[in-house]
Amino acid sequence: MPQIRTEFRKLATIRSPWLLLAAGPVIVVAGITGLVLSGTNVHDPAAQSRAMAHVGLAAVFTLMFGILAVAGEYRHGTITDTFLSFPGRGRVIAAKLAVYGLAGAAAGLVSSAAALAVTASWWAAKGAVFHLSAAGTWPTLAGGVAANCAFALIGVGLGALIRNVAGAVALALAWIALIEGIAGQLIGPGLARWLPFYASEALDRAAIIATRLLPQWGGGLVLLGYAAVFAAAAVLVTLRRDVT
Amino acid sequence: MAEIEVRGLTKTFGAVTAVRDMSFTAPAGQVTGFLGPNGSGKTTTLRATLGLIRPTAGETLIGGVPYRHLAQPRRRVGALLEASGFHPGRRARNHLAVLAASCGVPGRRVDEVLDLVDLASAADRRVREFSLGMRQRLGLAAALLGDPQVLLLDEPANGLDPAGIAWLRGLLRGLAGEGRTVVVASHVLSEVAQTADHVVIVNAGELRFSGPLHELGGSGQALESAFLRLTAVPG
Repeated sequence: MPQIRTEFRKLATIRSPWLLLAAGPVIVVAGITGLVLSGTNVHDPAAQSRAMAHVGLAAVFTLMFGILAVAGEYRHGTITDTFLSFPGRGRVIAAKLAVYGLAGAAAGLVSSAAALAVTASWWAAKGAVFHLSAAGTWPTLAGGVAANCAFALIGVGLGALIRNVAGAVALALAWIALIEGIAGQLIGPGLARWLPFYASEALDRAAIIATRLLPQWGGGLVLLGYAAVFAAAAVLVTLRRDVT
Repeated sequence: MAEIEVRGLTKTFGAVTAVRDMSFTAPAGQVTGFLGPNGSGKTTTLRATLGLIRPTAGETLIGGVPYRHLAQPRRRVGALLEASGFHPGRRARNHLAVLAASCGVPGRRVDEVLDLVDLASAADRRVREFSLGMRQRLGLAAALLGDPQVLLLDEPANGLDPAGIAWLRGLLRGLAGEGRTVVVASHVLSEVAQTADHVVIVNAGELRFSGPLHELGGSGQALESAFLRLTAVPG
């Protein structure tokens, strides 16, 4: 599909999206290092999956990365050229979802590798035994990779709806830092676990805090549902809107 | 032959009617000057022609087909629009390579159009380092990339120096001489008088004149007085 080839070519020829994705493994390394230095008992069997859960944190960067897919094109005016090449705008959005979702998952894999490497190093330095097979390690990493992918998809949809990078980033950060917490308080834990970041917690740190959250697979499905709703709204709106 | 046919085009934005029942034809093998004051509906007409905005009524056909139904539109129609932009961090050659990937033209065509617009020596610089004139040349290269039969250019001389303007005039004349349809929206009447065969004049979203340049007298002076008369506020 030329739409997909074009999206890859766009990504390959600018640096800013890669800097965002590279921030993921950096935050993972910093977070795990902080966990160890703050006195966590690395001999506790649960500590290892707590370390792995940092991969899910990196999804905030794949969310920003996804926002750039469409909103970044509006910012620089390249969206005009994109729609001149491909008047079928629905396929453009679909190609962006495919490419950015894939890149988000790949970033999650790199973050996972970073998490494994830095955790193994700290465990060795502290004289603890690092087990790849330790409880929660693989499910937590898999959930983290899925969250990195899902938030890239949500970002693509959000950026296509809002079309303004600063606006979309501000809304996303406000939602993470403030709105979802307040909404969760108002609607109570029974409903709050269906909100996107509660769902992502279920997905990427299921092994740690299970009681008030959905099961891991449920969190994954709910996030995928949010991504699908954003994507569908993005396509509908993008088809109708004038590009001026 | 791929003439452009605007048929009963109307576009309203909220309470504002940007274009009202506009109809004209831009013939193949000629340069059509598309003239009008600021806010007269030129850009809206071009964007509607390119499928970027949805007309309230009417349509534009390119060789008998609406833009959105063209197979490989970039290889049929090349466009230079004022609001279309560049990623500042992308190198000029890569900007064209992205577009080449989008319309399936081979990579060597990128070098051809870079040569054509005299940007080969700046091809590996990032667009943020470009002057207005260089951006304009890059936009022209993008419009020409697919070797299209139809060219729609909004103020293509913007930012070009006198030598560049003379070069552009020769380029547009040559393209029309090959049988292509060239539409140039412009404010620079003296330039249009030297380049165009056909003239379309609009004001306040409505057509005021469509016909051969010589019907308006042909010279830059005559075109200017005709333009001012046709676009004067009535009453």
